[in-house]
Amino acid sequence: MPPALSFTQVRRRFGRLAVLGGVSASVAAGEVLLVTGRNGSGKSTLLCCLAGLLAPDSGTIDYSEDGAPMDAAARRRRIGLVAPDLAFYGELTAAENLAFFCRLRGIGRERGDELLRRLELPPDRPAAALSSGMRQRLRWAWALLHRPRLLLLDEPFQNLDAAGVAIVRRLLAEHLAPSPAGGGPSAPAPPGLAVVANPVPLEIGSVAATLDLGA
Amino acid sequence: MFAKEWRSELRTRYALNTLALFAVNTLVVVSASLGPLGAAPGRSSETLPVLLWLILLFAAAAGLPRAFVHEEETQTATALRLAATPSALFCGKLAYALTLLAALEALVAPLFLAVMNLDVARPGLLAATLAAGGFGLAAGSTLVAAIIAQARGKGTLFAVLSFPVLLPLLLLAVELTRGAFAGGGSQGQGGQGGAGVVLMQLLLYDGAVTTAGLMLFPVVWNP
Repeated sequence: MPPALSFTQVRRRFGRLAVLGGVSASVAAGEVLLVTGRNGSGKSTLLCCLAGLLAPDSGTIDYSEDGAPMDAAARRRRIGLVAPDLAFYGELTAAENLAFFCRLRGIGRERGDELLRRLELPPDRPAAALSSGMRQRLRWAWALLHRPRLLLLDEPFQNLDAAGVAIVRRLLAEHLAPSPAGGGPSAPAPPGLAVVANPVPLEIGSVAATLDLGA
Repeated sequence: MFAKEWRSELRTRYALNTLALFAVNTLVVVSASLGPLGAAPGRSSETLPVLLWLILLFAAAAGLPRAFVHEEETQTATALRLAATPSALFCGKLAYALTLLAALEALVAPLFLAVMNLDVARPGLLAATLAAGGFGLAAGSTLVAAIIAQARGKGTLFAVLSFPVLLPLLLLAVELTRGAFAGGGSQGQGGQGGAGVVLMQLLLYDGAVTTAGLMLFPVVWNP
């Protein structure tokens, strides 16, 4: 059964500041939900709620994979997140960072090496010495390590050059297509889905809906 | 997690340098003012165990809170929250703190005994006390570090929260160390008969703090 995400009347306040005032949307497998809005409109907060990193004050978030609903704790382990404030260990190289997270997730480090190659990242350079564009590529590599079905992308093309944008667009297109390798010997894995947050609308394939949080 | 912590530590040497410098500095100050020529023989077994554990406590407090605070400050905590189970994370951090404290004790205890010119009547009891006390200190510090990591005023909060958590440990460890220094002639609980009971209390404390850490950490760590 393909994965699906829907959320209803999600509200979140920080003290007296209401950041999310009851937002609702849904997205199905193979589709992208585009979330737009000015700075401070709550895009990153919404993604954190969807990732299970923030608990909404009210509202419901329903996400299921293979027909099994997932709570916040399960979502945290399953989703792939690219976000500006996602950081890695500066004293470790890009390859060591990915190998560490591969080990935490119980997957072989070859997956990290594969993503380093695909994202054209220098494996032996310490993360602290990576340029801002290379750090963004490392975030993408980290987000895709465990082949998540749901990608949450907060300003996903930030700091990337033209070559970097082309690479991650290709990776996103692969994520949104059925995977012939991932579904076992008889069936391909269902396509993934993505929620993309960006201040302005993006030219991005398969956008099923746009949620505007405020101009 | 444990391997990553040590790899990072050996490259930055932050905690190692902080702990070692603090421990050696305080040791020098203590030995210069209360050294073998300055401490009255009758009082040394009463006062010196307190000083030994104060040195260990403050050296640990200077380096161990970093375990989780550093993850929040460098924004690596988000990646950890999404990739690791809380129990694996806590156990990895605890194992790192344990080995760091074991290294600290291996440095401080022989130096302390040497500069104070102390004869240990029951070395086995001293080793057991250092092991059990070090475990409790590491477990208590890791738990408090996890609690304060997301708060403001982390330094102050660490001192405030670790006081009630670590106080029973320190009292028990000091009592046992007195018994180890003085041997069977000690009148306190650390004497030959009571040492086993006190050591058992210390081990129970270790078990309680570790269990509390494993149970509380997922709540503290995740929203």
